[in-house]
Amino acid sequence: MTLEAEVQSLRQVPMFRDIDPARLKLLAFTSERVQFAGGQRFFSQGDAADAAYVILDGRAQVLLDTPHGEIRVAELGENALVGEMGILSDTPRSATIMAAIPTTALRIDKRVFLELLAQFPQMALAVMRELAKRLEQTNAQLVAQSAS
Amino acid sequence: MEKSLFRYIWTHSKRDQLIVCAVVLASQPFYFASLDLPRQIVNQAIQGEAFREGQALAPFLKLDLHMPNWLGGHTFHVFDGFEVGRIGLLLGLSCLFLFFVVINGAFKYWINVAKGVLGERMLRRMRFDLFSMVLRFTPEALRTVKSSETATIIKDEVEPVGGFIGDAFITPIFLGTQALTAIFFIIIQNLWLGLMAIGVVGVQFTVIPYLRRELLRLGKQRQLASRELAGRIGEVLDGIEAVHVHNAYGWEKAEIGHRLFRLFDLRVKIYNRKFVVKFLNNFLSQLTPFFFYVVGGYFAIRGTLDIGQLVAVIGAYRELPPPLKELIDWDQQRLDVQVKYDQVTEHFAEERLLPFVSAREEEEQDKPLVGPLKVEELRISDAHGGLILDNASFEIELPAKVAIISNGGGAASTLARILARRMNGFSGQVRIGERDLLQLPLAVAGDRLAYAGIDPILFPGSIRDNLIYGLRHKPLGSPGSPDSREEMRRIVEAERTGNPVDSIADQWIDYEKAGAKDAEDLDHILVTLLNRLGMGGEIYLFGLTGWIVPEDEPELAERIVEARHRLRETFQAEGMAGLIDPFDPESYNEQTTIAENLLFGVPKTDEFKGRNLAYNPDFRDAIDRAGLTDDLVHMGLQIAETMTEIFQGLPPGHSLFEQFSFIGAEELAEFEMILRRHARSDVALSKEDRAKLLSLPLAYIEPRHRLGLLDNHLRLLLVHARRLVREMLQMADADGVEFYDPEKICAAAPLRDNLLFGRISYRVANAQARVAEAVSAVVRNMELLEDIERIGLDHQVGTAGRLLTPQERACVNLARCVVKRPDILILDGALSPFDEARSQKMVEVLFGLCEGRSLLVVLPNDRQADPFDVLIRFRDGQIVLEEPRGPAQRARRPAPESSQPIAGEVA
Repeated sequence: MTLEAEVQSLRQVPMFRDIDPARLKLLAFTSERVQFAGGQRFFSQGDAADAAYVILDGRAQVLLDTPHGEIRVAELGENALVGEMGILSDTPRSATIMAAIPTTALRIDKRVFLELLAQFPQMALAVMRELAKRLEQTNAQLVAQSAS
Repeated sequence: MEKSLFRYIWTHSKRDQLIVCAVVLASQPFYFASLDLPRQIVNQAIQGEAFREGQALAPFLKLDLHMPNWLGGHTFHVFDGFEVGRIGLLLGLSCLFLFFVVINGAFKYWINVAKGVLGERMLRRMRFDLFSMVLRFTPEALRTVKSSETATIIKDEVEPVGGFIGDAFITPIFLGTQALTAIFFIIIQNLWLGLMAIGVVGVQFTVIPYLRRELLRLGKQRQLASRELAGRIGEVLDGIEAVHVHNAYGWEKAEIGHRLFRLFDLRVKIYNRKFVVKFLNNFLSQLTPFFFYVVGGYFAIRGTLDIGQLVAVIGAYRELPPPLKELIDWDQQRLDVQVKYDQVTEHFAEERLLPFVSAREEEEQDKPLVGPLKVEELRISDAHGGLILDNASFEIELPAKVAIISNGGGAASTLARILARRMNGFSGQVRIGERDLLQLPLAVAGDRLAYAGIDPILFPGSIRDNLIYGLRHKPLGSPGSPDSREEMRRIVEAERTGNPVDSIADQWIDYEKAGAKDAEDLDHILVTLLNRLGMGGEIYLFGLTGWIVPEDEPELAERIVEARHRLRETFQAEGMAGLIDPFDPESYNEQTTIAENLLFGVPKTDEFKGRNLAYNPDFRDAIDRAGLTDDLVHMGLQIAETMTEIFQGLPPGHSLFEQFSFIGAEELAEFEMILRRHARSDVALSKEDRAKLLSLPLAYIEPRHRLGLLDNHLRLLLVHARRLVREMLQMADADGVEFYDPEKICAAAPLRDNLLFGRISYRVANAQARVAEAVSAVVRNMELLEDIERIGLDHQVGTAGRLLTPQERACVNLARCVVKRPDILILDGALSPFDEARSQKMVEVLFGLCEGRSLLVVLPNDRQADPFDVLIRFRDGQIVLEEPRGPAQRARRPAPESSQPIAGEVA
C-alpha cells in the first residue's frame, strides 16, 4: 500500500473530500502509517489528544468508561476518521479506541495537521464545513428529540 | 601589576633585554664594515687606487688601528694582510662583502627572533597575570565586569603591547646612539651649527609629544569604545532570546551602527591629527638643512666657515633624520602602548580584586569548618537602602542540618550567600570557631564550602567533567615521563614567564577527596550519586545514545555483543520479532535508508554522510558496477516529482519542509528545472543533474515515505551492491565508514544501535516503547546498567549546560557539590526546578549524603523543615532560631506561608 492508496482512503473521508489532491498527498506524506494488533488501543479515554487517525484497513471499537465498566458504543470501519475533535478542540480523549482485529491506520499528527490548516485556507474551510454540517445534524436531532 | 609599563617590562625581562642589546651593539661594526666595503671595491680594486703607484701587488685584509688625533694619532699595525694582485683584490674584497652580508643577515635573524620571542614571552606572562586577576575579582566587581570585555582585553588589547616589548629598550638605545653620534659629529665640525641642529631637535621633541597628547586621548577613547563594542556584542549574543522575542533587531542594529560610527569618527580624528603631526615632524627635520644652507652659507661667503666643514656638516645631518624620525615614532608607539597598558591595569584595579594569599598560609588554614558558627551584628541593606538584616546575631554548633526559612523577601537567600562567601558589602562578623569566615583563603573556602545557587553553572564538556570539577584542585602526579624533551621545554618556558608549571595532562582528580580508589570507583560513586538524586533514568538514556570505545573496554564490548544476541532471543521468544528489523548482511533492511543499506555501516567522516555520499567517486564507482545508478536516478526523479508536487505552495522555511521534505525549500526551483529538462526527452541529463537526483533516494525509507519505489528486484540489487561498496571503499583505503558486523561492536554507532543491531519498525504502533522496555530488561538482567550509565557520564552538556534540562542541570550541580564532600553545603534555590515531592525527596537524600557534615538549605516555607536540627527565621530584620515542630503540631496551625507555591522558592 502506497501513498497513492492512502490518498484514495483520505478522499473517502467526508472532511477531506473537497481538498486538492496535492494537499491530500501532503497530508498523507506527513502522516505515519501504523499497525495495531487486535485489542491494541489507539488511545484511551482521558489521554491528551495528540493525533487523529484514519482507518485504512481493519476495524476499531469505540469504548466509553462508565461506572459499570467499559461499554462499546460503536464500531468504525475502513476510511473512518477518528480523534479529530480532540485535536481541534484541544480536549482530552472523550472515548477509548481499540483495534477489533489487526488494523492499519494513518496517524495524522496534531501539530502537523494544525499547521496544514493554518497554511491552506481551503483545508480549513473543508474542516469547518464538515463541523458545521455535524452541528446542524446535532441540532436537527435535538429538535427531533424535543419534538417527540 | 606595576603601574608603569616600563617597570613591568624591565622587572621581568631585563636579562633578555640586555642580551639582545649586547648583540645589537656587537653587530654594529660588521654592519658598518659592510657599508664601507662597496666603496673600497670600487675605489681600490676596480679603479685601481691601491695600484696607483704602479705596484703589481696590494695588501688585502690589512688591519690597522688608527687612533683619533686627540688621542695622539698613533697607528697600530694589527695584521699586514696578504699581498694580492688586482683581480685577487677584487675577488677578495667581493667575497669579504658577501661574508659580511651573511654575517649581517645572521645577526638580523637572531635579533628578530630574540626580540619576537622576548615579546611573546612577556605577552604570555602579561596575559597569564591578567587571567590570574580575573580569578580574583570580588563578587561586587563581578557584577559590573562584562565577560566579553575582559576577554577582548586579555586577547586583543595586550597584543600590541607584546609587539612593542621587544623594541622597548633596544630601539631607543640603538637609534639614540646613532642620532647622538651624528649630532656629536656636527658639533665637532661647527659648534653653532651643532647647537642649531640640537635646537630644532629639541623643538621636535617638545612640540610633537605635546601635539600627540590629544592623539593619545583619542586613542584611549577608541580603545574604550572598541572594548565596549565587544562587550555589547557579547551581551546581545547572551540575550539573543530576548532580542528575538521582542523583535528588537532594529534597535540592536541601530545601537551597533551608532557605536561603529563613533569608532569611525574617532579613527578619522586620529588620522587627521596623526598626519598633521607627521607633516610637522617632516617639516621640522627639513628646517635644519634650511638653516644650514642659509646661516652656514652666509658664514662661508663671509669667510668665517670653511666650505669643507659646511659640506661635512650637511653630510652628517643627512644621517640624522632617519634615526630621529624612528625615535619619535618609537616614542609615539611607547605612549600608545602605555595608554593601552594603563587602560588594562585600570580594568584590573587592585580594589576590584580579592587579596592574594600564599600557598603556605592556605595550608595552615586548611582545617575542617566545624565548631560554633557565630554570626554577630549582621547588617545589610538592599539596593533601595532598606535594611534586610538589622544587627542580627545567632550561634549554631556545626556540624548541623539547618533550614533557613524564607520570609518571602530576600533575607534567607542573602544570609545563605553571606555564609557561602558569595557576598560582601555587609557589616558584622561571621566566625566559625576562632576563624573569620571572610578571611579564609579562597582555596580553603572552595575546598570546604559548597554553594548551590539557583543558576547552576556548567562548563562545556561531559557530565563527568562537570561532576569532578570540584575535585581538581592541584595535580597529584604525572602519568607521562616528566623528562621528555618537550615536557622539559614546556616547564622551562612556564618558569620563564611566570606561568604555572602544572600540566593539564597530569593526574588532577583527587579520588581520595571523593572517597574513591581510582577512576572506575569514582565513576561508580558518580553514577550511584546521580541515581540517588533521581537522575538515573536520564543518565541511562544518555548512555544509550553514547559511544563505546572497544579498544579501551574490550570486556564491555564483548558483553554488549552478548546482550545484542540475548535481546534478539528475547524478541523471538516473546513474539516481538516484528518490532525490529535486524541488520543482516544478506538481506535488505526495510526500516533504514537506502544509503545505510548500501554502506551497511556508519559513516565516520562528512564525506560519507548524507548527500555527500552521492558525490563520493568510490561509492559512485561501486553502484555503477552494481548497475544501480540508473535505478537510483530514476527513483530520484520520482521523489523530486512528488516533492515538488506536494510541497508546492508552502512558504520557504516552513517547519514541514525541514521535517518531511527530501528537498529544501531553496532547492525546489532547481529540481523543478531538472524535471523540466528531463521531460524534454531529447536531452540527456547532465552529470551534475544525475548526481543531484541520485542524492535524493539515499535518504529514502520505504515504510516511512511510502512512495512505493522499492521492489524485490531492486532490494536484491541493493544488497548485492553492499558487498561491492565495501570492497571499493576498502580498496580505496577510505577510513570513512565503519561497517556493521553482527559479532562486533560498531564504535561509530551509538550504544543503542549496538544493542538492537537493527531498526525499530515504523509500522507497528507503540513499537518504540515496547522495545525500550525489552532493552532495559535485558540490560538489567545482564548487569550492564551501571556500565551504560557510566557511558552516559560522557554525555556532553553543551555551552552553559544548554543541552540538559533545568532539572538535569540542577542535579549535576548538586552532585558536583556533594561529591567533593564539603564540610558545609549550602543550598540556595538549587532545588527550585523540582516540584515539591521531588525536592522533599532530594532533601532526604542530601541528609544521607551529608552525614556528619553541615547542610544549610533555604526553604520557601517550613513544610519540609521537620527533619532539620535548627530552623532560622527572620522577623523584623532579626534572626530567630527555632527547633522544628513535629508534623502533628504543625497540622493544628496552618503555616502562614503555606499558600506560596514551592516553585517560587524565593532564593
